[in-house]
Amino acid sequence: MSALHVRREAAQNALNTLLKQPLATLMTIFALAIVLALPVGLFAALNNLQQLLGQWRDQAQISLFLHQDATEQDIQQLQKQLQGSTGVVNVRYVSKEAALKTFEKNAGMTAAIKILGENPLPASFVVELNPLSESPAVLQAQVQEWARQPGVASAQSDLHWVARLQAILALGKRAVWILAIILAVGAILVMGNTIRLHIAQRRDEIDIASLVGATRAFIRRPFLYQGLIQGAIAGILAWVIIAITIAILQGPVDRLATLYGTRFQLLGLTGLEGLILIVISAILGWLGSRLAVGQHLDHTFS
Amino acid sequence: MIEFINVTKHYPGRHHVLRELNLKLPTGEMALLTGPSGAGKSTLLKLLLRLEDVSHGTLMVNGVDVSTLKKRHIPAYRRRIGVVFQDHKLLMDRDVFSNVALTLQVSGVSGKQIQSRVRAALEKVGLGNRIHNLPATLSGGEQQRVGIARAIVHTPEILLADEPTGNLDGSLSTEILDLFRDFHQHGTTVLVATHDQSQVERLGLPVFHLEQGILQNSKEKSA
Repeated sequence: MSALHVRREAAQNALNTLLKQPLATLMTIFALAIVLALPVGLFAALNNLQQLLGQWRDQAQISLFLHQDATEQDIQQLQKQLQGSTGVVNVRYVSKEAALKTFEKNAGMTAAIKILGENPLPASFVVELNPLSESPAVLQAQVQEWARQPGVASAQSDLHWVARLQAILALGKRAVWILAIILAVGAILVMGNTIRLHIAQRRDEIDIASLVGATRAFIRRPFLYQGLIQGAIAGILAWVIIAITIAILQGPVDRLATLYGTRFQLLGLTGLEGLILIVISAILGWLGSRLAVGQHLDHTFS
Repeated sequence: MIEFINVTKHYPGRHHVLRELNLKLPTGEMALLTGPSGAGKSTLLKLLLRLEDVSHGTLMVNGVDVSTLKKRHIPAYRRRIGVVFQDHKLLMDRDVFSNVALTLQVSGVSGKQIQSRVRAALEKVGLGNRIHNLPATLSGGEQQRVGIARAIVHTPEILLADEPTGNLDGSLSTEILDLFRDFHQHGTTVLVATHDQSQVERLGLPVFHLEQGILQNSKEKSA
């Protein structure tokens, strides 16, 4: 009964049924695709937001002020350590002289400093972090570790906004997951309802097949294949919808990025993510069919 | 061998449809099941097909205890039986070939074998030239022949028929019942439910007569 030709015939049967009613089939596929495109589109939006926030590294700057007597060796060792640390995007050394020049330029206090007779400003390292590379706690611990290194007098950082940013992103992710689960149930119900209609149309055939000795698996198989085929096509369509949406949005995003003097490329789904979407969609279609046909067969075979 | 041993069938809150039924039909025999409407003929056939469960007693069919058969074994059991209905139960949107092929498809028979066996079955019932017709284009007698072809295409051990001539006139009834007799002569056990007294007398086969769910004295072959 599990011979390949039986499965092939069931698949052919499923395909014929779908092609016999092209409009109904297309409507189901589109409904499923839209239901799927919504959470997947939100996932893509979150990914893009993360990518964008990752670029705001100048907003996550740590300043490590050095002791006046820090040796050249201390400075070199520290620079090496900073460059090798997680989440560090850029390390810039600011000498005492460079700090003084900037101070004079920005604060206009040349006269006051001249009275002091010597440069009171310390040398420092300015470390740019990717704010999303680690949790705020890890980043904070890392900064404290740097502060304990030889030659370091103090560290100045403001990682509170990183914590807030990460909390907002975590909230967004959670909301998208909840939406995805709700819509996955919706996709199952859409498919289940469609298959229920197909079952109603083919009730006689099911009853007669049962009378002549068809197993549950034999009766169920074409319906499961219908769900699988429609689900997979809906997954492909959802992928296309997201790709088109991103292509349409890229123009305005380019113009906006130009106004901020930057560039930003919107991310769609990768090949692997697209394949996962198709597989999940096919599974949801299959699951919806299985629920609907199982319910009917429980009645037929009871 | 079909054997009912003290079989009772009743529905909750309703009267007994079959009561303490004892009936034996040896392998390869053909018999008629008679009785007025509501006597329990169809219920008896439903028990044989395991469309209904036995309430009490034991029903044995070719060594299988049908009364205790597990649900998962029912399809395999039904594939050993052929069944013909008064209303034919044909798929009206499928041609004659597809209707008959269904029995073989559920058994997992390959496409090539289905082709040859369906053609052979349709030849047997005289419909070799109607293979691609839709049932709606056939007469009542021809539709019943399609139903018979579907019932015998997998060469079942037992052939059951529930009022197969109920919707047919005299001469067509004779043709259909003669077909059943042909299959019986090839070794199939056949049980036909009918209320057509003229055919009962003409065929001269053993008769099981039911009245209000109780088996009356069965008549032995008269010819």
